[in-house]
Amino acid sequence: MNATSAATAQTDARETSANRAFWLRGAALVLVIAAFMSAGNVNIGAVGQGLGYALAGVTVFLTFRVLGFVDLTVDGAFPIGGATCAVLIVNGYSPEIAIAAAFVAGALTGLATALIDIIFKIEGLLASIIVITAAYTVTLHIMGGKSNVPLLGEETLISRYSKDFRGWLVEQFGDQMRRQSTNLLEIMLFGVIILIVLGILYWFLRTEIGLAIRATGKNPQMVRATGLNHNLMIIIGLMTANGLAGVAGSLVVQQFGFADVSLGFGLIVRGLAAVIIGEVLLRPRTVGQLLIAAVTGMLVFDISRAWIFSALDLPTTDIQFVSALVVLAALGTPRLYDRWKTYQQRHGG
Amino acid sequence: MLSLENVTVTFNAGTPNEVRALRDLSLQVDKGEFVTVIGSNGAGKSTLFNVISGAVPPAAGRIVLDGDDITYMPEYRRSHAIGRVFQDPRLGTCPGLTIRENLSLAAIHGRSASFRRDVKKEQESWFIEQLEREHLGLERRLDADVALLSGGQRQAVTLVMATLTQPQLLLLDEHTAALDPNAAEQVINLTQQLASSQELSVVMITHSMQQACVLGDRVIMMDQGRIVFEIAGEERKNLQPADLIERFHSLDSGAELSDRQLLG
Repeated sequence: MNATSAATAQTDARETSANRAFWLRGAALVLVIAAFMSAGNVNIGAVGQGLGYALAGVTVFLTFRVLGFVDLTVDGAFPIGGATCAVLIVNGYSPEIAIAAAFVAGALTGLATALIDIIFKIEGLLASIIVITAAYTVTLHIMGGKSNVPLLGEETLISRYSKDFRGWLVEQFGDQMRRQSTNLLEIMLFGVIILIVLGILYWFLRTEIGLAIRATGKNPQMVRATGLNHNLMIIIGLMTANGLAGVAGSLVVQQFGFADVSLGFGLIVRGLAAVIIGEVLLRPRTVGQLLIAAVTGMLVFDISRAWIFSALDLPTTDIQFVSALVVLAALGTPRLYDRWKTYQQRHGG
Repeated sequence: MLSLENVTVTFNAGTPNEVRALRDLSLQVDKGEFVTVIGSNGAGKSTLFNVISGAVPPAAGRIVLDGDDITYMPEYRRSHAIGRVFQDPRLGTCPGLTIRENLSLAAIHGRSASFRRDVKKEQESWFIEQLEREHLGLERRLDADVALLSGGQRQAVTLVMATLTQPQLLLLDEHTAALDPNAAEQVINLTQQLASSQELSVVMITHSMQQACVLGDRVIMMDQGRIVFEIAGEERKNLQPADLIERFHSLDSGAELSDRQLLG
């Protein structure tokens, strides 16, 4: 009995210190990034862009990590969300309604993948490739047959506040801030949206439905034994996740000032990299920490890519290659590190 | 309470690999009765559980639970009446979720999931009370990740969770086989305590002749998808592990060599 409680106290202490370490690592990371950006001459636009894409990282976290479902649908849900948002804004709807519609559009894309998986028993990887292929045409149709919808002169979430914000910024901090005003505004607006989304997800994933979705990935047998329809959990999970990809699409479209049919290209790899970078750097343990890590991972991805671009002075045509390299580094480094450690142990350091 | 009538389960029907896992099997379990099931590997014990819980459909026969025909009812719809604990301690609880969150999941049994958080207070205190009796040191760790618990602790949590919503039937599939002797004893004590306090009908598969003799009211031996003998009443009370082992060996005497054994 005494041995048990001693062991218990020890485990509890380990858990507490691991939780504290997460926040310490997060604080250290913020400092490192800040130093890195000022030294490496990286524009803060990279932060705004990372925040725009961040919810797509959350999508990949929800599908791969929470549901245990290999889902590439994000590549299709993202441009569909973006296109829906752009078309609604062009037709005079408010940005809020456009963003909400983008969520629904993304969620329906996720539903398609879920239904193909459940009805035809086609595994997630193939089901989502089928959906991405079809999504390309759907995106084109949403945009009225055009491959690009510009938002020039339309009221977006950003353009609505940009004039007032620029005026306030210049008044407070002087004229040198004028150039950064759009970037700062994006960071603030997207930051608030992401905080709201993470807050809702944090609540949702701890409700009974949320718990059932988490258990579906880790122990589907237990979900069935609990009397829950685990197919329903896959549907709810994929719809929520890809709805967020749609929202990310709508944010990026407003940031870029146009929607494009090829906007989601390679996004799955980027989302996966974001999740892994977040896990490696922050070592999250609880649901809340895991959500924060996915967003942080996307930020680190965009900032490192921007740094590589400015350091090597590359043309924008090379962007996908550099993305692939950053992803490779994110995936490969932890594995190489493990092999190196095993090697060291075997050879006595 | 539970009745199986002439249930047959066939795997790979119509192919050269056809296996008749259950052959025309009938079994009655009364309310509050505790039945232990023994038999060699491949005798059909786990298939018996799968067909009762709905994981495997029968090719023929009928299964009735508490007056309802559940023969073809989907697994998730009959599960509120049937608690099940597996040999592998990892199967009954979900890692990445805390003990309390696992408990919330178990409490959903028999209704649909809602946006509620946390279990009802009386369910939580009942849960803690059960765990306290075996001094598992878990009472104050409800917010610990289940992945951090030992196999014995996880199995104890699984067992209490399986009976949380008062099912009619509890199926135990060698649920102490993967545990050390000390943990196994704790889980067995917990099993007896839960079965008697809730008047559960229990069917327990075991490879321990000791457990089969000490626990429950009736012993059933299965072989090649059939029940080959039952021991109940006076005979069961005086039963010794050695008697069972003797009867076990008598099955392999050669008189009943099956096709499978000959071709094996």
